[in-house]
Amino acid sequence: MNETARATPDDATLVRIRGLTTVLNGKTIFDALDLDIPRGKVTAIMGPSGTGKTTLLKHITGQMRADAGSVHVDGHNVAELSREELYKLREGVGYLFQNSALLTDFDVFENVAFPLRQHTKLPEVLIRNLVLMKLQAVGLRGAARLMPNELSGGMARRVALARAIVFDPQLILYDEPFVGLDPVALNQVLKLIQTLNQTLGITSVLVSHELPAVQRIAHHVALLSNGKVVAQGDPATIADDGSPWTRQFFGGEADGPIPFRYPAGDYAAELGFAGAAK
Amino acid sequence: MNARAPQSRNVVTQSLAQIGACGLFLLTLLGAIPRSFRYLRETTRQLWFVGAMSLTIIMVCGLFVGMVLMLQLYHVLSIFGGTSASGMVVALSVYRELGPVVTALLFAGRAGTAVTAEIGLMRATDQISAMEMMAVDPVAYVATPRFLAGLIAMPLLCCVFCAMAIFGGHLVGVTWLGIDNGTFWSNMTAQVDVHTDIVNGVLLKSLAFGAVVSLIAVFQGFTTPPTSEGVAYATTRTVVASSIAILALDFVLTAFLM
Repeated sequence: MNETARATPDDATLVRIRGLTTVLNGKTIFDALDLDIPRGKVTAIMGPSGTGKTTLLKHITGQMRADAGSVHVDGHNVAELSREELYKLREGVGYLFQNSALLTDFDVFENVAFPLRQHTKLPEVLIRNLVLMKLQAVGLRGAARLMPNELSGGMARRVALARAIVFDPQLILYDEPFVGLDPVALNQVLKLIQTLNQTLGITSVLVSHELPAVQRIAHHVALLSNGKVVAQGDPATIADDGSPWTRQFFGGEADGPIPFRYPAGDYAAELGFAGAAK
Repeated sequence: MNARAPQSRNVVTQSLAQIGACGLFLLTLLGAIPRSFRYLRETTRQLWFVGAMSLTIIMVCGLFVGMVLMLQLYHVLSIFGGTSASGMVVALSVYRELGPVVTALLFAGRAGTAVTAEIGLMRATDQISAMEMMAVDPVAYVATPRFLAGLIAMPLLCCVFCAMAIFGGHLVGVTWLGIDNGTFWSNMTAQVDVHTDIVNGVLLKSLAFGAVVSLIAVFQGFTTPPTSEGVAYATTRTVVASSIAILALDFVLTAFLM
């Protein structure tokens, strides 16, 4: 690793974000955002749609560069890593995409085996056993030979989850992991995330809107709005902390500090009512 | 006229920017070739996909191009009593121009569009991002094998096209129109030069066309906006840009190789 890119790792914090500023198409997504993601814990990133939760995950994995500020993962400044160093870092990071992003040329088994085949020289028997174990964990061992187009949305998500954890990475980023899951699958996925965290000490970052699910497994919740972390804390207390941000978000109200409506001109004038401008 | 000027300037600027970006992409692609050697299996798979799967259209079109060429030449040359040279003219036309050019145009339509659409859809469904997140270089794993496959497949397909065209010419000229079989072959072998016609004509041109078509197809796929409309436009652009590039490059190569 590049020594200049590596800061002294803080054992308690796996991801440290400082002064993150991102402007996309003239819109400020992050405005000097600061956030610490604790090592070995489950952290949930919550916030209204379009607030930049997925973009934050992209910054953590180095898929996007910030306009200002820094993102340190395990002591490495992601923006200063070379391509090889970034790929080395990513080998220790699992990522569950919002739309599963399964490789459509491969069946379920080969999708989960893909990272193993690319980065290890494990014997075929071991690869097979590892893949089947991960598929068993998400309840899809029997679907190993199905193609991605034969899976439902929820099944595809579980396959993508099996692929994300196949390496037992130190950090797993889940982008909307509970969307499209039926109650049984949801419960099993929650248990799986919890087990991975408790038994292997894997740090998990979830982007989700599902407060009940988040409350069951998250140790730490950060609420994003207007480019900043507007509230954070443990899930039991954050929903009741009384701040206008949390009250509006968890209460589902349209009016409040979190903008519901996209900025627009005068409503009556746009509808063409005479004299509306006066 | 004045209103059109900024728009046409915009088109010119955009086209130049595309050519520049394509050139930079080529450098990335060439840089990724050593890393792509570990994906030999993927290159072989792509060779099957762009090469073997294009054989039917190449063979059928080659046959008919040879047949129609012989038919036209026979009728023109019979005016001057030179029908015995028609086999030789068919061979020279096919080796020097029609073989590489028509094969490349067909290749762009059959394989180039498929490559662009496939990569474009991979981008639209986040498969390319997923590879990056799994620390797999998508240029080395996706782009370079397809580029190399196109580079290898084009000369081979061109040889098949030329063989089928000669066979088509023989079928019409000798079997149907009654040209002497010995005259057909002897005139052809006497006039066709291995270096000028086969190496420069068939191999060099088709190699250059293969590189250009594959580069355009892969570049368009990688840079397409990740939407259905974006993929559709990128596929169209592959055909249009490849066709123009093939014909322009053919002129340049012919001028230098003659």
